[in-house]
Amino acid sequence: MSLLRIEGLSLAIHDFAILHDVSLTVEPGQIVGVIGESGSGKSMTSLAVMQLLPDGAQATGRILLEGQDVLSLSEAELCRLRGRAMGMVFQEPMTALNPIQTIGDQVAETIRIHEKVSKSVARARARAALARVEMPEDRFPLSRYPHELSGGQRQRVVIAMAIALRPRLLIADEPTTALDVTTQAQILKLLKRLVQEDGMGLLMISHDLAVVADMADHLVIMRHGKVVEAGPSPALFHRLQHPYSKALLAASTHQPERAAQPQEIPLLEVRGVVRDYATAREGLWGKPGTFRAVDDVSFQIRRGESLGLVGESGCGKSTLTRAILGLEEVQAGEILLDGQPVFTGHKPNRAVRRRMQVVFQDPYGSFNPRHRVDRLVTEPFHLLDDPPRGAAREDAIAEALESVGLTPEDRYKYIHEFSGGQRQRIAIARALIIKPDLIILDEAVSALDVSIRAQILDLLADLGDRLGLTYLFISHDLSVVQQVTDRVLVMQSGKIVEQGETAAIFDAPRHAYTKQLLSATPRLPDMTAA
Amino acid sequence: MSAGVMMLRGALGNRSLVIGLVLSLVFVGAALVSFAWVPQDVGAMDIPNRMQPPSGAHLLGTDHFGRDILSMIMVGARTSIAVAVVAVVIGMGLGVPLGLAAAARRGSLIDEVIMRGNDLVFAFPSLLIAIMITAVFGPSAVNAIIAIGIFNIPVFARLTRGAALSLWTRDYVLAARVAGKGAVRISAEHILPNVTNLLIVQGTIQFSLGILAEAALSYVGLGAQPPIPSWGRMLADSQTMISLAPHMAIFPGMAILLTVLGLNLMGDGLRDLFDPRIRRARQ
Amino acid sequence: MLRYVLKRLVSLVISLAVASLVIFLAIEVVPGDPAAYMLGLNAQPDTLAALRDQLGLNGTIPARYLSWIGGMLTGDFGTSYTYRTPVADMIGERMWISLPLALYALSLSTLIAFPAGVWAASRRGSAVDMGVMGVTQLGVAIPNFWFAMLMVLVFAINLRWFSAGGFAGWEQGFLAGMKSLTLPAIALALPQASILTRVMRSSLLDTLSEDFIRTARAKGLTRRQVLWRHALRNAMIPVLTIIGMQFSFLLAGAIIIENVFFLPGLGRLVFQAISARDLIVVESVLMLLVFAVIVVNFAVDVAYAAVDPRLRGRR
Repeated sequence: MSLLRIEGLSLAIHDFAILHDVSLTVEPGQIVGVIGESGSGKSMTSLAVMQLLPDGAQATGRILLEGQDVLSLSEAELCRLRGRAMGMVFQEPMTALNPIQTIGDQVAETIRIHEKVSKSVARARARAALARVEMPEDRFPLSRYPHELSGGQRQRVVIAMAIALRPRLLIADEPTTALDVTTQAQILKLLKRLVQEDGMGLLMISHDLAVVADMADHLVIMRHGKVVEAGPSPALFHRLQHPYSKALLAASTHQPERAAQPQEIPLLEVRGVVRDYATAREGLWGKPGTFRAVDDVSFQIRRGESLGLVGESGCGKSTLTRAILGLEEVQAGEILLDGQPVFTGHKPNRAVRRRMQVVFQDPYGSFNPRHRVDRLVTEPFHLLDDPPRGAAREDAIAEALESVGLTPEDRYKYIHEFSGGQRQRIAIARALIIKPDLIILDEAVSALDVSIRAQILDLLADLGDRLGLTYLFISHDLSVVQQVTDRVLVMQSGKIVEQGETAAIFDAPRHAYTKQLLSATPRLPDMTAA
Repeated sequence: MSAGVMMLRGALGNRSLVIGLVLSLVFVGAALVSFAWVPQDVGAMDIPNRMQPPSGAHLLGTDHFGRDILSMIMVGARTSIAVAVVAVVIGMGLGVPLGLAAAARRGSLIDEVIMRGNDLVFAFPSLLIAIMITAVFGPSAVNAIIAIGIFNIPVFARLTRGAALSLWTRDYVLAARVAGKGAVRISAEHILPNVTNLLIVQGTIQFSLGILAEAALSYVGLGAQPPIPSWGRMLADSQTMISLAPHMAIFPGMAILLTVLGLNLMGDGLRDLFDPRIRRARQ
Repeated sequence: MLRYVLKRLVSLVISLAVASLVIFLAIEVVPGDPAAYMLGLNAQPDTLAALRDQLGLNGTIPARYLSWIGGMLTGDFGTSYTYRTPVADMIGERMWISLPLALYALSLSTLIAFPAGVWAASRRGSAVDMGVMGVTQLGVAIPNFWFAMLMVLVFAINLRWFSAGGFAGWEQGFLAGMKSLTLPAIALALPQASILTRVMRSSLLDTLSEDFIRTARAKGLTRRQVLWRHALRNAMIPVLTIIGMQFSFLLAGAIIIENVFFLPGLGRLVFQAISARDLIVVESVLMLLVFAVIVVNFAVDVAYAAVDPRLRGRR
């Protein structure tokens, strides 16, 4: 008998169909990975197993946990199963814990809810559960509060809560999506170890093919609420049948074609840049301390080049971006574009600023929802002394929209009428409209589904060739950087620890941190062997 | 379907908004009509007919001077609405720019001064401000406006700052900064338009609170002075005669209750209409 | 924790200093010569000089401010111009009506609002929820002094359960005193309880939609357990803010409600003082009320830290 057997599960929320006839199984000790893009229904499948669906959800079919159909159980019976027979880990560790309860109380609660044990016994077992997730007593006493822990540590606490009673089934819904790549590797290793030790089944949900490919024994690929393909991993990768799965795999490893060669002329020069921030005062009357976000950073970007900047959150790459864009003055060093300083006399230099533009990560937060597209994309005209008016302005809008694959008529629409990928195209149009030399791509494809991401990367490569653009490509995702850059900088704690040709760095990293990053990055199985 | 039509459909399907709007319009309408026509002149006393219960001649009865209560309520609506509206205008006019400035210069001295100033004003309920002003300048409707208006300032300043702070972290604000726009321009183009919905909702709430506050102030004699009719004053006059002529107390009180209720329902309805999460769920 | 309380204490002192300065400037400096204002147009020059001397108006403005503050710190609030008695005595007597009234009303409103808010939130969308929301919608809109008048009409004049007004006096016993304050306290509490119920309900509903509630449900907690163990304490944070703000409204409201019931509290005192142009009394009552509001808000800030470990800072 399978540990978990989902048979013909269909689900609708307020008559809106979410899942159609989903079937999958999880055996004890097996890791089953469910992959899909947004809207594929993968998360709803996991919530259906826990029966923690939103109000108004109607499920049909069967979800058998050790032969028992959870769809037929009463709420009281479900409460006895949750936390004891099956545990769950969620995506967002920062908000998954009760902020005003100690971690000890929260882990012990799982035990006290299900077993009649004394408070001290429950705490001792909570202690043991935390030790199993590598949160030892001496560094993480039970009296810690969630806000005193990092994201990765909080995720460990959530895992400890889920496995405290050694459930037979663990469900992990995007457990590492919100985490840095090195933390992600540690959490994945931890989950793997727990599965082995307890012989439990793990149902792991992810949008990231590479993460799941590394982990899972069995893969399930979902799209629009249906299972399109399933099979043992990694063999499945070599004999994908369904066109969607093939396209998904192709998009994940997509390498845009780039023709242009960088010229041997520096466009952007960053020399010895330092940026300090004041930190909170020590004590009531103490002096504020300083935090060095960017520490003596120097590099160049050649004209026509695509330069990658990688590093984990908090490494200073956002601060550096803002300094290059002239949004913040630096304490030391200089930033020159074509020999012109970005800052002159404590004022940003308009002549330089109009030659640089930026595309941000979040396609939903990048646009004022109250403006129409024509007003949105022409915002950079503010940098020009004599911005185009009338017909010239209309032509510029049409040209910018067409160059990113939209139609000139789209100018009359509001931003909510566009999908995430289209919004990112509009963001690129906004950057292109004043014909800049340098475009900074700040995690510009990180929030997109892989198939959309591949299209945007192609668009960027094409624009780079046609318009002779220079890109600074900032990302936490090493595989994307590898696909689209000529050279790469690796940043850690405000310093550039390694830089060089992209291929050379990815083949033979020298710095310990680069090696660590690369080994932590999940990889798809090598397709060339097939 | 255009955004405007969708909005209109949502508005008509929203019961609290419709009821609230109708109630509020009745009283605003009564106040406006009173400029042109009232059933009986509110200055005319008719002692023989005093404290008459409601009848065909006087729909809501007469007061202790024989004046028609319906006419008094209609004219009193002017005072209430004028005081509350001007107080909201004062609160918004000063509070919104202060809130925008505090958010634009987050953590700076300006922000600190504005926020501490707000905390201070919060320690003075409008009644205390009214007492302070009246003690020195004597009672009047203008003083009531100032007292309620001052109290409204920190309400709008806090609301604006809170909402603006979260908008300042949006990427579109960063994009505007990359386009070389300054704090004032960004506040006007990107921040203010995106907090207007909140301000409209809060405006209706402060409007209704202003009507309650005006009534309370004129009830204790700190608001509009005779012979200007006001709802609070009518209640004060009715108090000693409540066992003889309860209608003198009941009708002005109902007028306050229904106006405030209408405005609150309208505020709730607008909030539902503006909140995109709820709107999406309705479709 | 200590550092947080100390920080709040510093801002309490600053608020009090600024508030006292505002009151002092408004009452003693803005009118020009308070003595002339208090005596009216027909004042004799020698009476004016005598009053100036008595009020201590002959010093510089900073000196007068400091001596006013110094006096208050030692319990000397000056002498009433109309009654020729120490203001401290007058206030002391009347404070024992206004303050208990405000606290009585605060307790009532909290005792009503908590169960009602939790009840409505736990049965969201049900008839109970709709009923509670409907009643509170009315409660928020009703002017409390009018509600008080209606209660007098029903419970004092028609049913004769309570006296229509006046205060029995604490010397008649605690219960007699509380009985005199019951109708006023109910009138004061009704609108505040309605607001608090709504805040309690919406804060609970917001908390119930947080991620950590789902985590707790995944541990096997029932809806009821999640509500009591996780949602309630988190939902208290905005509720505390409202309770703190309500105290100032209740104090101000008490002053008005005293008028309906002819209670000899601070409200009656201050309105009499305004019509008698007795500025010293007005000034002292204002300062006392503002002091109470600021201290209560300090207490609320400390209560925050007790609820929310994030405010206590790292140990």
